[in-house]
Amino acid sequence: MSPDSVSTDRQFDFDVVVLGAGPGGYTAAFRAADLGQRVALVERYPVLGGVCLNVGCIPSKALLHTARVIDEAASMEAHGIRFGQPQIDLDKLRAFKDGVVGKLTGGLANMARQRKVEVIQGRASFSGPHELEIGSAEGQRKLSFAHAIVAVGSQSLELSGMPWGDPRLMDSTDALELEEIPGRLLVVGGGIIGLEMACVFEALGSKVTVVELTPTLMPGTDPDLVRPLQRRIEKRYAAIHLETRVKRVDIADDALVAHFEGKHEGREGFDRVLVAVGRTPNGGKINAGAAGLEVSDRGFIEVDRQMRTNVPHIFAIGDVVGPPMLAHKATHEGKVAAEVCAGEKSAFDARVIPSVAYTDPEVAWVGVTETEAKAEGLKYGVGKFPWVASGRALGIDRPEGLTKLLFDEATRRIIGAGIVGPQAGDLIAECALAIEMGAEAADIGLTIHPHPTLSESVAMAAEAYEGTITDLYIPRKK
Amino acid sequence: MSKTIEIKVPDIGDFSDVPVIEVLVAAGDRVQAEDGLVTLESDKATMEVPSPAAGVIRELRLKLDDTVSEGDVVAVLEVEEEPAQAASEEAPAPAEEAPEPAPAQAQAEPAAEDAAEPANSEPAPGHPAAPAAAPRDDEDPERGLDAADLSEERLTGADAVAPSKVPYASPSVRRFARELGVNLARVGGSGDKGRILREDVTAHVKSVMSGEGAGPAPAGAAAIGGLRLNFPERPEVDFSRYGETERQPLSRIQKISAGHLHRNWIGVPHVTQHDEADVTDMEAFRLANAEEAQAQGFKLTPLVFLIKAMVASLKKFPRFNASLDTDGETLVLKKYYNIGIAVDTPDGLVVPVLQNCERKGIMELAAELAEVSARAREKKLKPQDIQGGCISISSLGGIGGTGFTPIINAPEVAILGVSRSRMQPVWNGEEFRPRLMLPLSLSYDHRVIDGAAAARFTRFLASRLEDLRRLTL
Repeated sequence: MSPDSVSTDRQFDFDVVVLGAGPGGYTAAFRAADLGQRVALVERYPVLGGVCLNVGCIPSKALLHTARVIDEAASMEAHGIRFGQPQIDLDKLRAFKDGVVGKLTGGLANMARQRKVEVIQGRASFSGPHELEIGSAEGQRKLSFAHAIVAVGSQSLELSGMPWGDPRLMDSTDALELEEIPGRLLVVGGGIIGLEMACVFEALGSKVTVVELTPTLMPGTDPDLVRPLQRRIEKRYAAIHLETRVKRVDIADDALVAHFEGKHEGREGFDRVLVAVGRTPNGGKINAGAAGLEVSDRGFIEVDRQMRTNVPHIFAIGDVVGPPMLAHKATHEGKVAAEVCAGEKSAFDARVIPSVAYTDPEVAWVGVTETEAKAEGLKYGVGKFPWVASGRALGIDRPEGLTKLLFDEATRRIIGAGIVGPQAGDLIAECALAIEMGAEAADIGLTIHPHPTLSESVAMAAEAYEGTITDLYIPRKK
Repeated sequence: MSKTIEIKVPDIGDFSDVPVIEVLVAAGDRVQAEDGLVTLESDKATMEVPSPAAGVIRELRLKLDDTVSEGDVVAVLEVEEEPAQAASEEAPAPAEEAPEPAPAQAQAEPAAEDAAEPANSEPAPGHPAAPAAAPRDDEDPERGLDAADLSEERLTGADAVAPSKVPYASPSVRRFARELGVNLARVGGSGDKGRILREDVTAHVKSVMSGEGAGPAPAGAAAIGGLRLNFPERPEVDFSRYGETERQPLSRIQKISAGHLHRNWIGVPHVTQHDEADVTDMEAFRLANAEEAQAQGFKLTPLVFLIKAMVASLKKFPRFNASLDTDGETLVLKKYYNIGIAVDTPDGLVVPVLQNCERKGIMELAAELAEVSARAREKKLKPQDIQGGCISISSLGGIGGTGFTPIINAPEVAILGVSRSRMQPVWNGEEFRPRLMLPLSLSYDHRVIDGAAAARFTRFLASRLEDLRRLTL
């Protein structure tokens, strides 16, 4: 029996109501509409796009591009080209960033109209298994649905012992507002978000200190991929304190004073403090109980491969269903949920979800990491291509990069990849495709890659594993 | 930070994918050591998974109707108390990095993708088959489409990519298979090095539909060993047109029994041998000793004598203590004597197994029988209690009847049905004497046992009951 049968009798206001218009939510809404469903998209903010478009991926990448140009211009000095100190017009930079965001969110609103998706502004909360209450400035509104897709995302985790309320204490959203360029910036959390923001502010002129609780930056990432990034930022930043926690932050007249404990002890004043220690899901904010929907203590909603919750006609996608909290995971899940709502036999069947830190250098990985492969006792082999042997990498003066592919020894099929270096985030896509397709090392190595590009490094790493590489000399094992 | 531990599903015998039929705790609950957390139901037994220690349930990793196997994580238990603010303390990992593996990495089996598999309710080891497709699906139209497959947790980490664990097929072929309900683990790949192509999926579906493969046959038609069975379809009857009706769902045990009984009825060529045993003396002996048993807290029933006589008969006729190997060409003879006893419970028929009956005395067996029957009625049988049977006894003696055809509990090869004993005039050569006669009905698998052997076996068994002293021979 197809769930379609529920929608055709028109006993509900909508076939599908999507809660949250982030990348997962609007994708789900659009896909459902394209499949003939009557769709409402509920968003608490006046603009669509969620964290990713408004205060996350997109604005941060716009600023990271700026940071990169500043850094590259400065590095030209070694090539005999001197540009001089950049003059930074913060208002104009902010306007550029906001313009990028505006183009995208405006485009979304247009596409919603074209698809006849009804966009409703307000806070959605369940009032029954098939009913939502939408609260907004204009008042309360009730609507009923055959299916709901919960895509309410996550928000920055707030640390205790911090003077939240002081505008100098920021989460990533605040930092992207770009109110000022702080002289001294403390970044609490050495993960992807913290390091990306550190990268932006350092290029704009801040003296950046990073503090991370664990012994490594970007915990969980293979050490050989993190190392080139760490070496580069160690030279540039005021300090990187690993195995250190910020016990508390006090307000002084002219500074925020952070108290450190752990490997690095003491206290230090900063003009601004950015806290980026993780994100927490918003599952607890939608009165899920009224629909019988189960939400974990931490705010996650558990789903099956069809993104179905414990309530069969309610689905959940994106950050709220669990890590990794990534937009591209959410959009994929959004399509699955929409298709299932429309009666298709869809399911989350992707084998891997790539991760990228858009730092300088970028760090990207997909599939099994080497750390994981070791821990799991997999019989795997590694093909590595250090960029020092790439003419293109040398040409852009970035020889520190590394491309590493992991292969299953028995079948020689690729099971994981990690890349560090400029454009690593773009290069990793080929590896993701290779894993999904079950490509063997030779398939990758025998595919002609354009020369001279950084993408060649993927083929070279495969050749290194195959033993057919000529751009490196690797002595034969046997 | 306080200590958290993962509570896993303990050894539940040779079962996998058993359903969770009851969840006794919720996240946040405080539990004591040995408190039950969830109830699992394997084939016919239920068992609780106890908490190994006192503490607070931080996370429940399964829900009602999930299916689990040994080693799957039931819950995360925090053994000590945690200060409330700990959760908001500095979290070491940034969100984008998934510091923690997704809740369930447990389902490593690629075969879990199954959808086309026929409902095989026998949870054979190493074959994560279909019991998950059971009751919830048909009760919930929303879950109608292959929920056995699609409601699985997604694979993560190495399990999602390791070539030994995932089918060699591209995303588009995987989607194609999913839409057709094809389990790629069952599809042979004709591409380079066994890659599964779109055509392979199509070919698989064709072969299943035409009855060549292992898939379900179309309604009403079946081909078995060259015999083409083509039944007219069963008519849909609206019984309420003829009077008041009531719909009553079968219990889970009844549904499982139904499948097994139907398979055995169709798959095993049954013959039933009838005989009678003169149990006059046995009954006198039993009554003489009944009080002693009563004093120890159990009843001395005729059934325990039947068990002892059955052991003696199996020793004499080893082919009855055997199973046909799945290849159909070898007989597996057993050197142990475990007797299954059919017990009627409010939820349906269950067959607990008394282990190693050859080593136990009458009184010991009587005590054990009383204990296991009571547990069966209280739904407290463990998987181990219903495994390893050699032959079964089904007694309707307490109710009545003169004979019936019990269905063999395959892969056993025979089952003894016992009806009600009656005082009858028996000609002893000179005169009719009133004797207490017990009707015996032995159904046997004619592939393994021929008629003469069955007649001899039943007579031998009766002779042991007629003169209990012979049991000592």
